[in-house]
Amino acid sequence: MMKRTIRAGLITAVAFSVMTGIAWAETWTGGDDLPTNPLACDNTPAAAAAKPYDGGQPTNAPDRKGKKITVVDIPKLIGIGYFNATSKGIADAAKELGNVDVKTDGPTKANIDEQITFIDNYITSGVDGILFAANDPVAIAPVLKKALSKGINVVGYDANSTPDARQWFVNQAQFNGIAKALIDNMAKEIGEDGAFAIVTSTFTTPNQARWIAEMSAYAGKCHPKMKWLETVEAQEDNVLSFNQATTLINKYGDELKGLFGMTSVATPASAEAVTQAGKCGSIAVVGLATPNAMKPYVDKGCVKSVVLWNPVDLGYAAMYVLRAVADGDLKPGATSVKAGKLGELQVINGSEILLGAPYVFTKDNIGGFDF
Amino acid sequence: MSRYLLRHEAILAALLVLALIVLALQSDRFFTIDNLLNQGRLMAEVGLVALAMTFVIVSAGIDLSVGSILGLVAILLGVFWQKVGLPLPIAMALGVVVGALAGLFNGIIITRFRVPPLIATLATLALYRGLAEGISQARSVRGYPDWFFVLGQGEMLGVPTQLWIFLACAVVAAIVLGMSTFGRATYATGANAVAARFSGIPVDRTILLIYTASGLISGLAAVIFVSRVSTTRSDMGTGLELDVITAVVLGGTSIFGGRGTIIGTLLGLVLMQALKNGLALAGVKGDGTIVVIGVILIATIIISNLVRRDVDG
Repeated sequence: MMKRTIRAGLITAVAFSVMTGIAWAETWTGGDDLPTNPLACDNTPAAAAAKPYDGGQPTNAPDRKGKKITVVDIPKLIGIGYFNATSKGIADAAKELGNVDVKTDGPTKANIDEQITFIDNYITSGVDGILFAANDPVAIAPVLKKALSKGINVVGYDANSTPDARQWFVNQAQFNGIAKALIDNMAKEIGEDGAFAIVTSTFTTPNQARWIAEMSAYAGKCHPKMKWLETVEAQEDNVLSFNQATTLINKYGDELKGLFGMTSVATPASAEAVTQAGKCGSIAVVGLATPNAMKPYVDKGCVKSVVLWNPVDLGYAAMYVLRAVADGDLKPGATSVKAGKLGELQVINGSEILLGAPYVFTKDNIGGFDF
Repeated sequence: MSRYLLRHEAILAALLVLALIVLALQSDRFFTIDNLLNQGRLMAEVGLVALAMTFVIVSAGIDLSVGSILGLVAILLGVFWQKVGLPLPIAMALGVVVGALAGLFNGIIITRFRVPPLIATLATLALYRGLAEGISQARSVRGYPDWFFVLGQGEMLGVPTQLWIFLACAVVAAIVLGMSTFGRATYATGANAVAARFSGIPVDRTILLIYTASGLISGLAAVIFVSRVSTTRSDMGTGLELDVITAVVLGGTSIFGGRGTIIGTLLGLVLMQALKNGLALAGVKGDGTIVVIGVILIATIIISNLVRRDVDG
């Protein structure tokens, strides 16, 4: 009897350690290798760890306090809803401030080389400030450092660079917060043991890779029975996203209960794929997207939760931060910054400014947003 | 030949001078040494590949796989160095060798299996990019030592390092294409492959060498590119082939083969880069710049064709 118990215990222990071993070894494709920090399963907020300022500083920047400044905004790419919304926020803030001359320009494809060239040209043309959303955190760093070395104020939003290549970064939502919102909503819709797949941009895009890594960690911690099937790349391309989502639906059949869209392009395309496959209601779509793109699917009841922050606010905050930096009001070591109608925003992670908690759009509230 | 030189290249040179003057008037920051050298830095990778592409197109071929070779070599450079643990100089050399092999493979498909270059390199465009994505496992390689950045971010005698490399390669390419037996074999192959074969010109060997060189130089461009942006990604060089072919065709090389010069390609390159940079400095947005480049490409070729018809007619 005793022996049996010990043996059973031993087998369980071995099985358990093997399984945890497997769980450790299995990381979701598309995540990055950086350490993760999953939030608590309930809504306990994470304690903010104090960290010294780790951003860069422009050399010999002229005194710009209160003076009119020329600013260029270079997003990952232009001509998509999401960055149209951020540049609207930037323009709104510039209008409110009254002493900023801002324009948005950038590549028509999310291409790191073109983005670098754009920034390089604007450095030559002699702007006072650069706002950017990086296509690659490391590749963009040399050209941003060059901007700093010419005394230009550099502030990032949406997608970060290495910290020392810019002064501040406006963080739209912490990665673990977004990951929690996505996974929790998916679990609510497909149940604790449902299987899902992910449609992302590319495996190396910094934001998406970070979210996926955090989602993997959070799901492992709080929803361990959910089954991740596959992550597919779809650039930020409409047609490709639709095709990839359709392929997933056909490949996994009834096993597939949910799709995550990791970009503002992939989510509506996935919803469209589910609609066209006649799987509304049997395959849940949860993802990051702008409300306008998702309204048709949310209204039809095909999509229940869309997770995002307000990109107009994000652009707005970035512009205010840049102005505060140029004026010398936001210095290393500050703990908060005033951002117009958004009020006081908190400084986190040394040199980042947090926009707020992620926002979940549902059938009840989506009508109130237009971007 | 010299009469032809007077035509397209002269028109292009005039256009370039005109463009430079107009752009300089639009922005006082355009015609500064700093900006021009910086543009040279940005142009070097496309420029290097365009030199080889001139040979390819003169031989009546096309190489669409150059951007994918660049991506593949970039990834392999990182993998050889970080994952395999080879010293970086050896990893760089091996990367360039792989580029050459990738080009050689293109050449073998084209000469041995008689696959049209467009189809062959369209296939390897997908193949090499797929390999790059697969090998990289979607991870970037970063953290190169500082000396490596000299190649892409440093300068020698005040001129960007890669511009020296590019100029050296351009001189070699101009001499080989314009003055050597190999250059004449390239023109003959492109003008009429059958006639060239009957004249005892080693057509297949010429084509093999050209595609190998195209791969090799794409590999070299990859090393410079990685050094310039200090990271490797599997999507590097996407769409590079289009910029390269645009520069070569703008430079007067006939897409049907048998015609074209390195000088023309250089003029085409500089014109394209000057427009991209100058228009940006003049406040034209990115989408507007692409439109202008498209219009200029069509206009130059039409003008050149009209003039040629007059002279020939």
